[in-house]
Amino acid sequence: MELGGLFANLSLGLSVAMTVQNLFWCLMGAVIGTAVGVLPGVGPTATMALLLPATYFLPPEGALIMLAGIYYGSQYGGSTTAILVNLPGEASSVVTTLDGHQMALQGRAGPALAIAAIGSFFAGTVATLAIAMAAPPLTKLAQQFAPADYFSLMALGLVFAVVLARGSALKAFGMIFLGMLLGLVGTDVNTGNTRFTFDISDLFDGLGFVPLVMGIFGIAEIMHNLADPQRRDLATAKISGLFPTMADIKRSIAPILRGTALGGLLGILPGGGAVLASFSAYTVEKKLSATPEKFGTGMIEGVAAPESANNAAAQTSFIPMLTLGIPSNAVMAMMIGGMMIHGIIPGPQVMEQRPGLFWGMIVSMWLGNLMLVVLNLPLIGIWVRMLLVPYRLLAIAILFFCCIGVYSLNNSANEVLIIALFGVIGYLLMKLDCEPAPLLLGFLLGPMMEVYMRRAMLLSRGDPWVFLQRPLSLTFLAIAVLLMVFILLPNIRRARETAFQE
Amino acid sequence: MRRRVFLGLAGATLAMGFSTHALAQTEAWPQRTVKLLLPYAPGGATDAIGRPWADKLSQAFGQQFVVENRGGASGMIGTEAAAKSAPDGYTFLLTPNAPLAVLPSLRKTPYDPVKSFDAVGRVGDVINGFVIHPSVGVKTFNEMVEYAKKNPGKLTYGSSGNGTSTHLRLEMLKYKTGIDILHIPYRGGADTLNDVLPGTVHMMNEPVSLAHAKAGKLILLNVNAQVRHPDFPDVPTLTELGITGADVPIWFSIFAPAGTPKDIIAKLNAKMIEIAKTDDMKAKMIAVNAVVPLQSPEDMAKHLLADIKANAELIKAANITIE
Repeated sequence: MELGGLFANLSLGLSVAMTVQNLFWCLMGAVIGTAVGVLPGVGPTATMALLLPATYFLPPEGALIMLAGIYYGSQYGGSTTAILVNLPGEASSVVTTLDGHQMALQGRAGPALAIAAIGSFFAGTVATLAIAMAAPPLTKLAQQFAPADYFSLMALGLVFAVVLARGSALKAFGMIFLGMLLGLVGTDVNTGNTRFTFDISDLFDGLGFVPLVMGIFGIAEIMHNLADPQRRDLATAKISGLFPTMADIKRSIAPILRGTALGGLLGILPGGGAVLASFSAYTVEKKLSATPEKFGTGMIEGVAAPESANNAAAQTSFIPMLTLGIPSNAVMAMMIGGMMIHGIIPGPQVMEQRPGLFWGMIVSMWLGNLMLVVLNLPLIGIWVRMLLVPYRLLAIAILFFCCIGVYSLNNSANEVLIIALFGVIGYLLMKLDCEPAPLLLGFLLGPMMEVYMRRAMLLSRGDPWVFLQRPLSLTFLAIAVLLMVFILLPNIRRARETAFQE
Repeated sequence: MRRRVFLGLAGATLAMGFSTHALAQTEAWPQRTVKLLLPYAPGGATDAIGRPWADKLSQAFGQQFVVENRGGASGMIGTEAAAKSAPDGYTFLLTPNAPLAVLPSLRKTPYDPVKSFDAVGRVGDVINGFVIHPSVGVKTFNEMVEYAKKNPGKLTYGSSGNGTSTHLRLEMLKYKTGIDILHIPYRGGADTLNDVLPGTVHMMNEPVSLAHAKAGKLILLNVNAQVRHPDFPDVPTLTELGITGADVPIWFSIFAPAGTPKDIIAKLNAKMIEIAKTDDMKAKMIAVNAVVPLQSPEDMAKHLLADIKANAELIKAANITIE
């Protein structure tokens, strides 16, 4: 797009987004989003579902601006609990727990939160510009991906999961496969058969991601802390410095830039874009670092990169929705629902028929990100003080919100039981020194990989060479194999283990 | 003290409630919020059709008609919840045909599509048709059939999953024309569109594709409804193309738990017909590619029975199995 047109579009967007009403809805969305992001279990999908009927009474611009605000607001808020209490609010903030929570344990929750907010803001700004300038060509790029390419990308993602684990590679493999097995529960897309559901209709759509995370991270962490008083005091004892030092910022610049680029690209892909983005951003940092063995012990790079990546991905995931009417995740499906309620059929025609709506929303995204960083930086002091709350109270509050959050997803009491079950499983895994992050990645990517593989095989009429014939697919698989070789080469493995034992 | 007053009041209300129960139900309905259960997650086609109806019904009766999305298990969870609700005129099911007219022929459902519900009336029929990617090089329905006959199994079609209404569409086409098209199941319309737009998969049959047909990215070959789509006046129905008995659109209807008082159903149905005749509602429905046939509860019940039978026959003829 030529520059003059871009400015005309952006000024049209500004004129829509800067009206008092729309600024108000943007702020409302950002505030609600931050709140639901911070509350464990209550995610943006459930919140938007609850608020969708209310938006029926707003003008479409206001409604969509607010719904979008809830989404990116929750990306900011989700990292807060991940860092403070080791409870990822969103799939995409799972990796943030690895180093973010370690930083909190060392009394550096403030800098971790600040870098997460600054990285997110930077990523949000760049991604918004990317949407404004290059939405149509980027959509074309995403459409180059056929099922075979998706399969190979997911396979690469799973190999990333091994790299990002701290301990033994064997245990990481085990956890990935356990996660993939858990992901098999539910209805098989190809045949419509139900698998491992024991005729319980709540399981027909598979185990929910939120109950699984709440159990394995939230409940297990609480059990672990209660069992070990020393660890518990550690979390609430010392807090040193609310804001990052110059050294922190310097170390974070490159990871933020890399995270933004990676997240922005992966966010366009449907499915696990934001999740893959944060995992791969973390892996890239670990690979590039001079001290990879220190990752997982509170490295600020391990917060900066994935947080920038997931926010960039959250923004660019709007691209296929805005240009094609294709939702790249559950939240975007909700946005489409919000449009349809107002009689706007999402698709390529929206940009031409409702330019005010289209550009207004894009400009409001940047305004919302600005509001969020202004809102969140002063809040850090308050969040960090949350760690001073006696653990006996904090533990109950976390339990309480986890249960309410999970119940509110589908009004299903069975899902609350599922958290309890996974709490116990998570505790056992923790005792066995098995990390839950690879399990979650296996759980998310495994079923998608299966679907893409079977779809690719159907389309190729059963010819497996399709995975090697497509250049994109071949590239991903080649990188995956290379990574595997690195992991499995004995001398490298030995070095890795000695480094870990230090 | 306060507690005693409250208990007394509650007792009095209860007693009154019992004596006037039957009367209150039939004459002054609705006296409180009415719940419309939608058996799918928010944001889908059922929402797009159901929410304008909830809004208009609230205005018409002066009581809120609240939408409750209860998604999951292909609509079975929400439908089961509606079947088990009290038949007091305060809970209704608003659903597309699949949970009642398709699923029971494929798997064991925790409800009986006929015995568990009383029909109230139709809220919308979706006008929709087969779209094809321009790269195939055909422009009309008959050209597509000819192409498929020359190249058996070469064309691919994406559905929303094995045994869904969109899958049955393909089987109907294959059954009526004798052509061979490869079925690729997806998770939903948007998921399918993602592969149909770049031409990885050639065909689909879901409302989400119509916007792209309008933009010229895909070609609409036909509509499978009794009427043509106002935005595509040149695209014929299947009946017009000489294929009979295949213009059975996906419908959305309101059902009551079995045993709901007949006069409440009659009252609701009368209001629905009134609303369906307004230009405002017609415009709202055509925006989501739907038209509203006017039907009495009896017609609707008959329609459901006929649909169940037709789908069961098609499922048998096409040999579709799930369990």
